[in-house]
Amino acid sequence: MIAFLTANMAPVMFGSLIVFLLFGYSVAFSLAACGLFFGFIGIEFGMLPASLMQALPLRMFGIMQNDTLLAIPFFTFMGLILERSGMAEDLLDTIGQLFGPIRGGLAYAVILVGAMLAATTGVVAASVISMGLISLPIMLRYGYDRRLASGVIAASGTLAQIIPPSLVLIIMADQLGKSVGDMYKGAFVPGFVLTALYVGYILLVSFIRPTWVPALPAEARSIREDDGTPGLRSLGLLTVASVALAVLFAKSRPDTTPTDELIVVSMCVGVGAAFMLAGINKTLKIGLLSRMAERVTFVLIPPLALIFLVLGTIFLGIATPTEGGAMGAVGALAMALGRRRIDLKLMRQAMETTMKLSCFVLFILIGSTVFSLSFQGVDGPKWVEHLLTSLPGGQLGFLIVVNLLIFFLAFFLDFFELSFIVIPLIGPVADKLGIDLVWFGVLLAVNMQTSFMHPPFGFALFYLRSVAPTNDYTDKITNKPVAKVTTGQIYYGAIPFVLIQIIMVGLIIAFPGLVSRGGDSGPKVDVDKAFEQLQEKSKEDKDEAALLKPAEDAASAAPGTSAPADAGDNGKEDPMKGFVESLERDKDKKP
Amino acid sequence: MSTLLKFSALIDRLNRRIGHSVRWLVLVAVLVSALNAAVRKAFNVSSNGFLEIQWYLFAAVFLLASGYTLLNQEHVKIDVIAGRFSKRTQIWIDIVGICVFLLPFVVVVIELSMPLVIKAYTSNEMSSNAGGLIRWPVFALLPLGFVFLGLQGLSELIKRLAFLKGLVPDPTQKVQGKTAEEELAEFLLQKEVVARDAALLSGSKTAGAKK
Repeated sequence: MIAFLTANMAPVMFGSLIVFLLFGYSVAFSLAACGLFFGFIGIEFGMLPASLMQALPLRMFGIMQNDTLLAIPFFTFMGLILERSGMAEDLLDTIGQLFGPIRGGLAYAVILVGAMLAATTGVVAASVISMGLISLPIMLRYGYDRRLASGVIAASGTLAQIIPPSLVLIIMADQLGKSVGDMYKGAFVPGFVLTALYVGYILLVSFIRPTWVPALPAEARSIREDDGTPGLRSLGLLTVASVALAVLFAKSRPDTTPTDELIVVSMCVGVGAAFMLAGINKTLKIGLLSRMAERVTFVLIPPLALIFLVLGTIFLGIATPTEGGAMGAVGALAMALGRRRIDLKLMRQAMETTMKLSCFVLFILIGSTVFSLSFQGVDGPKWVEHLLTSLPGGQLGFLIVVNLLIFFLAFFLDFFELSFIVIPLIGPVADKLGIDLVWFGVLLAVNMQTSFMHPPFGFALFYLRSVAPTNDYTDKITNKPVAKVTTGQIYYGAIPFVLIQIIMVGLIIAFPGLVSRGGDSGPKVDVDKAFEQLQEKSKEDKDEAALLKPAEDAASAAPGTSAPADAGDNGKEDPMKGFVESLERDKDKKP
Repeated sequence: MSTLLKFSALIDRLNRRIGHSVRWLVLVAVLVSALNAAVRKAFNVSSNGFLEIQWYLFAAVFLLASGYTLLNQEHVKIDVIAGRFSKRTQIWIDIVGICVFLLPFVVVVIELSMPLVIKAYTSNEMSSNAGGLIRWPVFALLPLGFVFLGLQGLSELIKRLAFLKGLVPDPTQKVQGKTAEEELAEFLLQKEVVARDAALLSGSKTAGAKK
């Protein structure tokens, strides 16, 4: 028995973890208990050094000192303040009126607003609840298909998970030892491709099943000119003018400007010009712009300003993600104060929710640190590596298995648990297989979105259920009876969007270029170039080729962030050796 | 049992008070960090002391609030299986969880971290960064937070045992009744949806009148 145990400690420990978690007590403490239990067994059997547990408080001090994780409370707080500021409602109202009279318009409005909310904050619940309360009744009023209406709302709210700044990307960056900024840059394009896929799906539906997404009657628009025209021409002209200005500005910049900086700055120029024009128009009452144009401009300013304040500063390298989060939180606070939407009670609530969320998330991390300490001690990472590298198909086989694993685990675990328990196990293996970790993190983040959309535990569906009508009611505007939304309709509506998310995972695997890898590719490209140059003249000088190797090593070892100690020793050949080294490093840090 | 229940109520009060005070540190951390960033950009000066106070504050938030979070049943569980059991079985799972998982963990962490805290205190260890802060107060947060967590664990244990004896109402009900999401939904319903419907109603009436 003991011989079997010592020989198979890692698989036994992993199996026990599942039992401990399914037992149903708090995840954080179950993880910790599993780690402690096997740690002491290991020490008792002489498999682990008796000093193993000495590293525990040091690792916990390391978690306390981790600057990256500070972004979690900041973005949470920002989201909580923002959800009460009325920004989401104004956006839904205005964009809904703008697009409503075209077929599928309300659904497009929900997707666009969902993406915009996602880019300002990372809280799924707030988006889904706002859209469920504001847009769903309108969609039902005008006869949208209930499954489609609830599916599009849940999916658009879930975009907050992948479009930066999202919490899951922060945690992923921390666990994979990459910088949050790189992770955000990488997730930018996939986030918008996913948004485009949702729009494409609605477009498809509007051709195949036009009755599912009817156009609203023109009188559903309450923003209009005095003569009754919607004032769209003015809006169109304003849009064309500001886009043209932005493009002109972009062209005038030197070619050397990095693309992301170019996009951010030109967008600011275009939007700023539109805002100035609308502002002048309003104060001087020239009547140059229609009401709709003015309204759209003013309603878009707060979110775009916040996006610039947070993402713009991060992408331009002005602020770290943590600082960006803090400034975004202050910006949201200023906005809510300016609109008189915030009082002491609300402040207390936002602070309390932030505190409790930070606490439970950080305790899961503490628990998983205890677990991984013992798991590393019993050579667990090596076992996982053998298991996953022996899969047929190399990289692709690994990716498929890992994605299937995450997809199915996402039925039971939420993304915090997935990122803290599963990522530390598979991250090092991915690294060893030569997979770019930023790309890998974004891929898994897209996959984990499905955890919000799986019936019956998906959070987005759960939040939508809590605000969707559970009884038949009479609509106040049309005085017609409206049937309730059944839970089955919500579940069924999620399926097409889960499929789209899976397609997105496939797209990222098929076209890795979708995920931009700004931060890491720099030194690697240099090495490649140097290598090419060297090959050309390699015959004359072999010493230079020898120089290349350390350079390559340095490039591949370039660390993203000062990740906690356990991220550092992930790539080591011998886990035990790595573990001992990490212990020694911890000792250096010791007070 | 009644003495124990009094003890439990005392702990609940203590942790509630701690939670209600500590939550303000979230706001302080946000303001300090935003100010740090702004000052760093505007005047190109930064103070290591102010940078370090950020994570001191965050550590204080999540460690000191751990008992309060436990009181509010906010440490997430996986109840795929446990959720199907009867209330009494779930209470028993909690009791075993507290005794076998939570309390030993708390004891181990306090025992292991105390020597380090004492050492940092006696040696007056400072941050290795220039202008950094003294270290022992932040190290001391770890055992302190776990003391509050352990105490709350005891309180939860007492409440569950008392429930099994039929002495108290179900302790696993969320203390405050409403979740943050429910609060938001209520808030939106009150302020927004009504106002918007009213506006739309009057809007459609005037539009109709024009026709």
